[in-house]
Amino acid sequence: MTDLAPPLATSPTRNGAETLMRYGFFLLVIGVLAVFALLRPTFIAPGNIHGMLMSASIAALMFLGLTWLIAAGEIDVSFMSVAALANMVVAGLVQAGAGWGLAALAGLGVGAGFGLLNATLVAGLRLPALVITIATGALAASIAAAIGLGTSIALSSTGFVGDLLDLRLGVVPGIALVVGGLYALFWLVQERLTFGHYIYAMEQNRAAVIEAGVPVSRMLFMLFVLSGIVSALAGVLLAANLSSGQPYLGTSYFLDGLTAVLLGGMALKPGKPNVIGTLAAVIFLIGLLNGAALLGWTDSERQIVRGSLLLIGVGLVILARKHRRHTGPAHS
Amino acid sequence: MISNQLLTRLLAFAALVAVIVLLFWMQNGAYVSEGNLRALMRHMSVQGLAALGLTFVIVVRQFDLSFPGVASLGAMTLGWLIAIGMPLWLAVAGGIAVGAAFGLVNGLAVARLGLPDIVTTIATGGLAIGFSYFYSGGTSISQNFFMSGILDLNDRKIAGLDMPFAILMAAVLVACVLLHGSRLGAGFYATGENRRSAWFSGVPTAGLIVLAFVICGATACLSITLLVASSGAANVTAGNQLLMPAFAAVYLGAALFGRPSVGATLAGTVLMSMMLNGFTLLAIPYFYSDAIVSTVLISAIALFDPRVSALLRRALPRQREKTA
Repeated sequence: MTDLAPPLATSPTRNGAETLMRYGFFLLVIGVLAVFALLRPTFIAPGNIHGMLMSASIAALMFLGLTWLIAAGEIDVSFMSVAALANMVVAGLVQAGAGWGLAALAGLGVGAGFGLLNATLVAGLRLPALVITIATGALAASIAAAIGLGTSIALSSTGFVGDLLDLRLGVVPGIALVVGGLYALFWLVQERLTFGHYIYAMEQNRAAVIEAGVPVSRMLFMLFVLSGIVSALAGVLLAANLSSGQPYLGTSYFLDGLTAVLLGGMALKPGKPNVIGTLAAVIFLIGLLNGAALLGWTDSERQIVRGSLLLIGVGLVILARKHRRHTGPAHS
Repeated sequence: MISNQLLTRLLAFAALVAVIVLLFWMQNGAYVSEGNLRALMRHMSVQGLAALGLTFVIVVRQFDLSFPGVASLGAMTLGWLIAIGMPLWLAVAGGIAVGAAFGLVNGLAVARLGLPDIVTTIATGGLAIGFSYFYSGGTSISQNFFMSGILDLNDRKIAGLDMPFAILMAAVLVACVLLHGSRLGAGFYATGENRRSAWFSGVPTAGLIVLAFVICGATACLSITLLVASSGAANVTAGNQLLMPAFAAVYLGAALFGRPSVGATLAGTVLMSMMLNGFTLLAIPYFYSDAIVSTVLISAIALFDPRVSALLRRALPRQREKTA
């Protein structure tokens, strides 16, 4: 893996346990999906797979920036509201007669603007990330609601964004390939470039990283802007996917985003949020919620599953970190 | 010297109050009428109780994002207990017990198991919202409300004060003694300043963090009880409106008075409620007032926080004049 420190002598049993930890999550994902496929054959019907991949791609896009922010020891709870705002900006502009190109650009611009705002306040002025992003998130959410005067906006056409979403390769939507490629790229950056190593170093010892001369503020700045832009991109895609602007779509992504990042933090690099883990966790969550819906679970039951998974995820991440710190400098 | 500084801060607070009153009064003369002042105090009671509990959690330098969800669960528990014919005191106690129980879980998870506060409380808040649907499948509960006497919690008066405001004042008094008039209070602040050194000085830090979360959960449910009493129905989204104003009140107060305290939170609540009440009076839709509240919160943190300006001076030595 990253080989910052040469792997010291590790006993074979610990290696076995680590391997299980590293890849166990993927087994769990496959296992759960297989159980649903057995229980409800419609789960693996082409239409359902296509739908799941589509929602998973958009969700994964939204959580991309969040993954690195949490990996760096920061937090952003405004991402879903920024997505909702971008979504409503697109819907509002299209309804007002603007072209989809302009509307999509405006949506992205608004997302970048909120990313910049978060970045300036948190990375620039060193204000507490949580309270600031609660406030900027509320600001984005209220502007989103104000655009539609509190209700959703239905769209008659989905423009070129809709055409892009309709592209498909068999059951696989084109957007899934694009998002998959993006995740592969981010995985490379995270694993092979020093930028990625600094992200993890920031979480472990911020002061030491600053002392080492890493431009921490600039990196954090970039991460917050990135989070704003990818969230907005997801919001723009959702406008076409839902053929409407939904001012309150953020609430359903909030728990899912944090759950995906923290649960995914158990895969490959135990205790450290990483993009491949997030991707696997998004597929897991979408599959689980979709399968549970097919089995007839109510919304509240699924909400409880989400909350429990988030607790389990965060518990495991902390356990893994403690384990690693107590057993000395591990090779991860 | 210190009292001098306090005087300046009090004057700043009074000036803000005066500006807000003047602005709304010019828009609508009814803003300073007795009826509206009573409405303002009722509003303050609900927001103030939630913010008061949050203050304890903020003092020990933790965050609780679960209290809106927990408050919804508390409201539904209260409504359900009333609907099945339980006496009022038991129903209210049941709702508050739910809040305290969730606070206990949060506190133990954060202080004992070492889980991160933010994500843990987001998760428990999500769980609470899920549970709140179990009582009625998501529909609001209002059976038996008229008979049970819960509406009296809103309507009755004690010594000329409306009941909700009297409850807030009682809670403020208790919180003041707890946080500013006892050794326990000093322990809360010490835990927040430096948990390790507080622990070595004999402060039961883990216990205090748990206690802070329990207080926060319980007061959130007490606050929602007042809201249920005034609206006459319990529903699963009742708690949603608590999050932003509570954080804004605590941070606004802390920004004005230098650190989070009971008085600071009360001052923050007064400012927030005066604004929110004014927006309601002018019939401004909630989404505009939300936007203004969050803008106020962001600017309060950015402009006033002395800790931040100190950090700023260290981080950006050349831009010292910017924060002065």
